[in-house]
Amino acid sequence: MTLDLTIFVDYGPRILLGFWMTIKIVVLAIALGLPFGVVLALARRSRLRVLSWSALAFIEIFRNTPFIIQVFLIYYVLPFYGLRLPAEQVGVLALAAFGSAYFAEVIRGGIDAVPSGQLESARAIGMSDLQAMRHIVLPQSLAIILPPLTNQMLSLIKESAILSTITVQEMTMTALRVQGETFRPFEAFIMIALLYWLLNEVVAIAMRALERRWTTKPVKGEA
Amino acid sequence: MADKYLELIGITTRFGDVEALKGVSLSVARGEVVCIIGPSGCGKSTLLRAANWLTSPNEGTVRLDCSVVGHAPQGRATAAQIRALNGHRARIGMVFQQFNVWPHLTALENVVRAQMVVLRRDRSEAEAKARQTLADVGLSDKMDAWPERLSGGQKQRLAIARTLAMDPVLMLMDEPTSALDPELVAEVLAVLRRLAEIQMTMLIVTHELGFAMRVADRIVFMEAGGIVEQGPPQELLSNPRTDRLKAFLDKLSLTKLPKDREHAEI
Repeated sequence: MTLDLTIFVDYGPRILLGFWMTIKIVVLAIALGLPFGVVLALARRSRLRVLSWSALAFIEIFRNTPFIIQVFLIYYVLPFYGLRLPAEQVGVLALAAFGSAYFAEVIRGGIDAVPSGQLESARAIGMSDLQAMRHIVLPQSLAIILPPLTNQMLSLIKESAILSTITVQEMTMTALRVQGETFRPFEAFIMIALLYWLLNEVVAIAMRALERRWTTKPVKGEA
Repeated sequence: MADKYLELIGITTRFGDVEALKGVSLSVARGEVVCIIGPSGCGKSTLLRAANWLTSPNEGTVRLDCSVVGHAPQGRATAAQIRALNGHRARIGMVFQQFNVWPHLTALENVVRAQMVVLRRDRSEAEAKARQTLADVGLSDKMDAWPERLSGGQKQRLAIARTLAMDPVLMLMDEPTSALDPELVAEVLAVLRRLAEIQMTMLIVTHELGFAMRVADRIVFMEAGGIVEQGPPQELLSNPRTDRLKAFLDKLSLTKLPKDREHAEI
């Protein structure tokens, strides 16, 4: 099979627009999903039953069902309850919810890996649970959390392709359209494969840099 | 004891089916140094950890200066109760066997952080206080060191400086020298002795009988979740009234106890 290079030139700009949409969706989903993942992880450890059980239920539902089904349910079911959102927003919410369930488990693992004496000494000196988490436990769990967190981010980026099924104009959707118009699937999909790879590589490198900065001793912290 | 500064009343703690503490009561007067000794598993650490409600007992009350630190059994703690407990803990210093210094912060920052977070001191005030308490425990030259670079004795002194910076009215010490190499024990005991000299109220769980002999106003001997015997060190250690204390002291083969405080060596 020979590559038709003119397709890269003619349809490249459209693909890049889709790429830009993918980036926006993924960045928003991580920006929402990561803090929510922290909240879930803390709620999961809460002594309040209601809180820990709801967090657990949320995590289990989003971890144990296919992402594409979650997307369908949110996209087609919400309107019945009067909530009609644009596909892009549904996409961001679904990705954020899906991602937060995995983020929460990674973060919980990191918290549990910090020796219990660390939390105890923080509590014994008068810190509240949240203060102890924020100042003593979470900073120490970062080094443990970051590598698996990076993995979760990379898979979240790849899962965003599924949003093409609810007409989000992201990169995979764009490639499907280009393929439909040109009947040249190879060119269309090789373009986006390279771009997904590029995006993931950038994220992976950035996270590795962050890891190095945080696992070598931190600069004198501000309180 | 006339002056009951710290009061532990009827403390019962159960771990599953095991009753670790069986209704133990103990008071400590202001400025008094009380050492708790006893075989491992006797409940001495659990009793100490009840004093700041770190291990909340199933039954009992703890009061500090007539104000309730904790009372059990009780339902879910209210936000106000939790705040009050955190307020008490800020004034009760605790030193752990495993030091529990914070490895992600420098020595100085270890001492600064809780002052800023809990006592809301500003950085300059907290740092000045930290420099002073670090100097008090002989760590002036280690301010910027990371904990992993410190020896066990230095880590424990750092942990002590961290609690001293909070201006504690009471110190709880859970076997502060048990995790230390023998040659590092003395430097920590020296710090504790100075605290005793400045009339710091202290409740210390220890195996260092020589040290207890020298600094304690009172020694409490515990076994099987209860207090068996207590009294002034001299009297208690040289003339144990109960067979159980006698047996415990024999096991430690303490045949040659120092005759008096002046000649006692650590």
